[in-house]
Amino acid sequence: MNAELSLALVLAFAGSSGALASAAPLKLWHAYRGGEEKALESSVKLFERESGRKVELLALPYDVFASKLMAAIPHGVGPDVFIFAHERLRLFSRMGLLAAVDGEIDRPSYFPNTIEALEADGKLYGYPLSLKCLALYVNTQLVPRVPGTTDELRGLLSRLSSAGDNRFGLAYESGDFYLHAPFLFGFGGRLFDDTARAVFDTPEMARSLAFVKDLQDRRLIPEEASGALVKSLFGDGRAAMAISGPWFAGEIPKTVAYSVFPLPRVSETGLPMRPFLGVEAALVSSKSEDLGGALKLARFLSLGEASVLRAVVGGQVPANVAAYEHPEVRRDPIVSAFRAAAKNAVAMPNTLEMARVWEPMKLALQAALKGGALPAQAGALADRRYRALYRPRPPVASPVPYVLLALSAAVVAAFRLLRRPAPSLSFTKRYPDARRAFWYLAPAATGLIVLVLVPFVFGAAISFFHHDSGSYTFVGLSNFVDILASRGYRVTEPLSFYFTLAVTVLWTAVNVGLHVTIGLALALLLKDPLLRLKGVYRVLLIVPWAVPNYITALIWKGMFHRQFGAVNGILQALHLQPVGWFTRFSTAFAADVVTNTWLGFPFMMVVALGALQSIPPELYEAAEVDGASSWQKFRRITLPLLRPALLPAVILGSVWTFNMFNIIYLVSGGEPGGATDILVSEAYRWAFQRNEQYGFAAAYSVLIFITLLVWSALTQRFTQGAEETLS
Amino acid sequence: MSDVSLKGVRKAFDGNPVIKGVDLEVARGEFLVMVGPSGCGKTTLLRLIAGLEEADEGVIEIGGRVVSDVPPRDRDVAMVFQSYALYPHMSVRENLAFGLKLRKFPEAEILSRVTAAAGLLELTSLLERRPKALSGGQRQRVAMGRAIVRHPKVFLFDEPLSNLDTALRVQMRGELARLHRRLGATMVYVTHDQVEAMTLAGRVAVFDRGVLQQAGPPLELYHRPANRFVAGFLGSPAMNFVAVRRESGRLVGNGFAFPVPRDLPEDSGVELQIGMRPQELQIDARGPFQGEVEAVERLGFDGYAFLSTQAGGLAARFAKGAEVAVGDQVGVSPVCDALHIFTAEGRALRHPASS
Repeated sequence: MNAELSLALVLAFAGSSGALASAAPLKLWHAYRGGEEKALESSVKLFERESGRKVELLALPYDVFASKLMAAIPHGVGPDVFIFAHERLRLFSRMGLLAAVDGEIDRPSYFPNTIEALEADGKLYGYPLSLKCLALYVNTQLVPRVPGTTDELRGLLSRLSSAGDNRFGLAYESGDFYLHAPFLFGFGGRLFDDTARAVFDTPEMARSLAFVKDLQDRRLIPEEASGALVKSLFGDGRAAMAISGPWFAGEIPKTVAYSVFPLPRVSETGLPMRPFLGVEAALVSSKSEDLGGALKLARFLSLGEASVLRAVVGGQVPANVAAYEHPEVRRDPIVSAFRAAAKNAVAMPNTLEMARVWEPMKLALQAALKGGALPAQAGALADRRYRALYRPRPPVASPVPYVLLALSAAVVAAFRLLRRPAPSLSFTKRYPDARRAFWYLAPAATGLIVLVLVPFVFGAAISFFHHDSGSYTFVGLSNFVDILASRGYRVTEPLSFYFTLAVTVLWTAVNVGLHVTIGLALALLLKDPLLRLKGVYRVLLIVPWAVPNYITALIWKGMFHRQFGAVNGILQALHLQPVGWFTRFSTAFAADVVTNTWLGFPFMMVVALGALQSIPPELYEAAEVDGASSWQKFRRITLPLLRPALLPAVILGSVWTFNMFNIIYLVSGGEPGGATDILVSEAYRWAFQRNEQYGFAAAYSVLIFITLLVWSALTQRFTQGAEETLS
Repeated sequence: MSDVSLKGVRKAFDGNPVIKGVDLEVARGEFLVMVGPSGCGKTTLLRLIAGLEEADEGVIEIGGRVVSDVPPRDRDVAMVFQSYALYPHMSVRENLAFGLKLRKFPEAEILSRVTAAAGLLELTSLLERRPKALSGGQRQRVAMGRAIVRHPKVFLFDEPLSNLDTALRVQMRGELARLHRRLGATMVYVTHDQVEAMTLAGRVAVFDRGVLQQAGPPLELYHRPANRFVAGFLGSPAMNFVAVRRESGRLVGNGFAFPVPRDLPEDSGVELQIGMRPQELQIDARGPFQGEVEAVERLGFDGYAFLSTQAGGLAARFAKGAEVAVGDQVGVSPVCDALHIFTAEGRALRHPASS
């Protein structure tokens, strides 16, 4: 009786937990903020009510969204549905992350070019949610007539701009290729040649760059405009027009009266400026445990009430046709305007090639607009960079010789180990406390092994492989050879390992030199007991160290902005020429050094202060009586006695500075053209910005490690020599 | 012609007066020892001579030249610090040569002076060592060597032997004396140890709380102290002091009486103090002081008994043979004429005629 009861209970449990499992919430990932996020949340609530299924939302930052998806989905810990732009579609489908929706979608419900954007290799992936493209935002109070051609635009801009008041006729992110593309296509340019490979060095590219450069030179558009700058200029009425997408509407204050129009025609060619058409889609993960439910959710989001919410609350332009019959949507001038603008738009290709276009084009735009190169040469620059970045896969190597080498090394090591004369006492006799010691060490050792050793070994292992869209192929030492032989670019070019190494060494030497000098000088000042308010000065000088360094980096970057930065403001107040900080290597490097010195001197100051206070004052008195002047006391007593403390600090500081990623990445961003990148930021770019060339980046990291290892070994010898203790 | 002259020197730290008006002369070639208890200002005075402190008032002269505003390196003095203050990152040779290098002496001169000083102080085999590899006595000698090579006008010593153990101290005392004889230099020496003062000094200056009590040859201070402080400072165990009243030709104290010495001035007052050194008291069953032995210190060939008597605590010396134990009732009497007499305020009135 008891056994049967238990069995019944177990079965009931299993059954109910099975039912529970099927009711697990659907996971939906997105990168929305603000109004778009609100619209999504409302749509999801509607779905939950209608279907009875729970949905779990997760908002992610845009920059890491793609890498998170690619890491999580294959391991089964990703979302069921995610919202993403269509550009990476082909990559995702090749990696097997997406479920096809061919049978589950009603094509006529959506605009045709949005469906096109979601096709890859003959299959349809995902439900189109919204479309976006660029259009012209016009401040109707400032602009008398909307320009239909670029000649009209230029005429208008001359009247609307006033350089002295920082007023511009037009503001847009001129350095971003996404915003430059309409110009390129308007001048008749193509991005891909007939073999579907990217091509940059074309006359149309040159003409489009020259056009924009001319606008910038005549102060009709702002330089180095970021999204935040464009928003603030248009919002203040200091920019009469702006080029942006539907998301911009939500950021404009209510005080500005504006309308949205398609981009003008290029007068030279008669062609309209064609922005990229981006389609945002609800994509379904192939690894979803409830495919049916996921498809239902994705379809729900793309149709009906959800798409109306998307338009009305989220300010997006819905991709399904029926939405436009809704009176609120029809009335919305922004949505209608973008739909009109979208007619000229070119669907952004979802090929892998497209993803490779961004970095070379960024280089070309920066060079052309900041004066580093003529517009006619910028295309060639982009071309060279493109070819250097997208290396073909090295020849597959056989792992056999390496395995044999490793095995023989292990055998030799084991042999030598076993042949050692046995110690006179057994291990347990020599170290009777070994067991206890092991348990004390175990937690820290585990942490070290898991967090340091294992990733290190993995990284070193990956350096022998080539990674491409999720698959790894063994290529032996090819990565190392490519890096060290500087294959694909000259040794003196920024992409070369040696160039970057030289920059890194220079960076380290200059910084550490400045840190020590300034830190020591301040410590000497502060240790003087006659200085009042010593405590206050000490705190003030520690503050740079206490503020998180990425915040400091961003603040300094803003201060070095060419038009609106504080540094140039001060220069202008002193009647000096403002400097384009990130246009040349020397000034960009200087900006980085200034920021890092600001961050780094407090550490040296604190070390020096401590060491100074450990020097017995009688030594100075004895030196005084012996006849030493202040300088002689410093050189002969202070400095030699500071060496034991300063030397380790210098070594530590040099290793930290060598790997100081934050400042380089956030302040100069490697500008111009990657020249100020140091080894560690270069490795980052190879891994995360150049199509996930993980193997190459891992090889870079191994080389960095070896360099620092050699450096540490050398400096060990210095510290041995300087071992002093005060008697 | 004095090498060091201090006139009316005053110094206060944070409002606390430390030197309260000192006048002192040091003759050329003299070995002057400044003694006194802790806090009496002797080290401060030395530092004022060196120039490491500035006097608030008064004039300091070295070699006849006023140096009140002259920095230490131009005063032509050399100082040996209590903690030696050797430069830890330099070898002994470099330590010795440092001052000369700073003043840009020619290499040959530096070499000869360093070699001479090393030879004088037996440091020749240690020249390449670092200070941390030296013993206390060796470091002491290096510190002295550093001063010697400079051939200064005045040597200043700031309690140089106080960090050494007793045996080493005795040895170094001898070496210092020898050094002074060899060099014939003017030396100003600060210590709190009165044995060093007695044995090394040509002249002793005793200080108490920033005031110079007495200056003169050691034996003079010992036999004829100018006041009670000096009398009690020099000599170990300290002099016994007993209060007495002068009454009808006798000095009457608690439980004893002495005839008034003939050379005591008539108008010296009624309330007086007598001082007797323990070395001039002997165990005598019928002595004027009777009391119980509270402590005994046996030093081998003699010893000291500490009694409590009606007149107060007394220390008396006893020779090897005497059987004195704690708790004994003994008597003590002065050996011949042993009375120092002071006024109630401490000024000396009379001393026993010295032998």
